[in-house]
Parts: sequence; C-alpha cells; structure tokens
Amino acid sequence: MSTPVLRPSRPRWLDAVGALGVVALGLTVWLGLWVTPPDAVQGNLARLLYIHPPIATVALYWVGIVAAGGSLLYLWPRTRSLFWDRLAASAVEVGAVFAALTLVTGSLWGRPAWGTWWTWDARLTSTALLLLLEIGYLALRRVPADPAVRARRCAVAALLIAVDIPLVHFSVDWWNTLHQGGTFIDPGFKIHASASMSWTFLLAFVAFSLIFVWLLGVRYQVEVLQDAVGDQELEVSLAERWSEDTELVGADLVGQAPAPGGGAP
Amino acid sequence: MSYVDAGYAVALTTLLVYAVSLILRRRRWERALRVSEAPATGGHDAPARGERS
Repeated sequence: MSTPVLRPSRPRWLDAVGALGVVALGLTVWLGLWVTPPDAVQGNLARLLYIHPPIATVALYWVGIVAAGGSLLYLWPRTRSLFWDRLAASAVEVGAVFAALTLVTGSLWGRPAWGTWWTWDARLTSTALLLLLEIGYLALRRVPADPAVRARRCAVAALLIAVDIPLVHFSVDWWNTLHQGGTFIDPGFKIHASASMSWTFLLAFVAFSLIFVWLLGVRYQVEVLQDAVGDQELEVSLAERWSEDTELVGADLVGQAPAPGGGAP
Repeated sequence: MSYVDAGYAVALTTLLVYAVSLILRRRRWERALRVSEAPATGGHDAPARGERS
C-alpha cells in the first residue's frame, strides 16, 4: 500500500479564473485593436493605453498588496505561516514580469509620443527601481538558508519593495515629470473617454487582474512543490539521472546484442 | 510593425511564455516530488546508490 504524496491542491476555481482571464484578454485585444475608434489627439497610438495602465496597475497595486500584505502577516507572530511567505514570493516573481512589461509597453508608447524610448523621469526611474528590487528579492530567495530564516529575510525585502510603490504612484505629483498624471479619470471620477473606449479600458483591467490571479495561483503551487521536495532536490536530481543512465545502458546493450543467426562478421 | 502592434505582441507573448514556463515548472516539481516519495513507497524503479556499477 502506497503512502499518499503531499501535493498542493489544484482548485478548479483557479482554472476557471485562468479561462476567464484568457477570454477577457482576447476580447480586450479585439476591442482595443479593431473596434474602438482612434483617439482624437493620439490617433491609433492610444490603443497602447488599453494595455499599459492595466499592466502597470497589476505590477504596482495588486502585487504590492499581496507581497507587502503577505510579508507583514508572516512577520506578525500571531499570523506567522509559510503560506504568507510563499504567497509574497509568488507575487514578487509575477510582479517582476508585469513591471518589465510596464516598462516595455510604456517605452513603446513614449517613443512616438515623447520622442524618446527612455528618460530619467521620476515615474520611469521609480518603476525601474521597482523591477530591480524585485529581481533582488528573487536573488535573495535563492540564497540557501533555513526556511524560517529565508522567509524572514524575504519579508523584510518585500517591505522595501512596498516602500517604492507609493513613490511610483505619487511621483507625478511630487516631481515635475514628463510622465502625465491621471488623464483618463480625473480626481472627481469623471471619465474623459467615449463609451467604447471606457468599457475596453475597464475590461482590460479585469482581464489583466484575472491573469494575475491565475499566474499567482500557479506560481504558488510551484513554491509549495519546491518546498515539499526541499533538501531532497539533489537526491531527486541524481535519482532521475541514474534512471536515465539505466535506460541508456539498457538501450546500448540491446543495440550490441548479436543478431540472431550469427550476427555481424 | 507599428508601435501599437509591437506593444500588444510583446505583452501577450511574454505572458504566454511565462504561463507556459510556470506550467512546465509545476510539472517538473511534481515529478521530482514523486521521485522523492518513491523510495518510501517502494514503487520507484531507479537503482539505489549501491546498485550502480
């Protein structure tokens, strides 16, 4: 009788979220590229704004909330659990992908709009710093250590990342930047766009948020599996290698076996 | 290719590649976990260290 193997649960709702995210993203692309009208000022270039701000929203706010929240809950003695550490780590890795995409899509918009791929503007620089901090966090996580020590170190690093997030958000207010402030929705929540543009924009936020949740869930499962294998990783790699070698040796022996009826001369 | 097309292509391709890489990583770690659990269950066909010539 075999012992049941501990595996992270693969909830069905996560697959549903992923499927919904793909459908919503497909609709966003269709509406953003073919259905919505060109902008009165920017023309077709405004179509990039259906993806750049939603990606930035995920990179900043959703990732910030999960990473900082998870790290705080890990550091707080009453709620300390490796669940929060793993969740924060997963958010930071997914966040690094979204932060890189924020910079790339912003740069692709900035080249024709501003005439430059990059400028040391406060918003751009603080976003680049966010990406660097996230890469640093991921590097720190790979430093061998006891799980509790690693979790504590990473929680502190995630809080450093979280400090940068308000800096990115308020950079356009605190400094005189090339990057514009809020233009789609003003402080009075009055929307300055046509209905089709507004709905596409809103759908894009939903789509990228759903994709983020799905990526976060799958990345969390990877984190749990990594921890479950843990220190046995080297043993497992060797066992896999030995298994491959055994199969190769077996195949060689079969290949060298004399053919029936005398074999080769 | 316009800047708009490039932006959509980069974003969608990056997310697709990352999603696929996550699924492959999850599969790899699930296999690793099965291998690590196998000696305990007696169902693993890989040779033990001493058996390798």
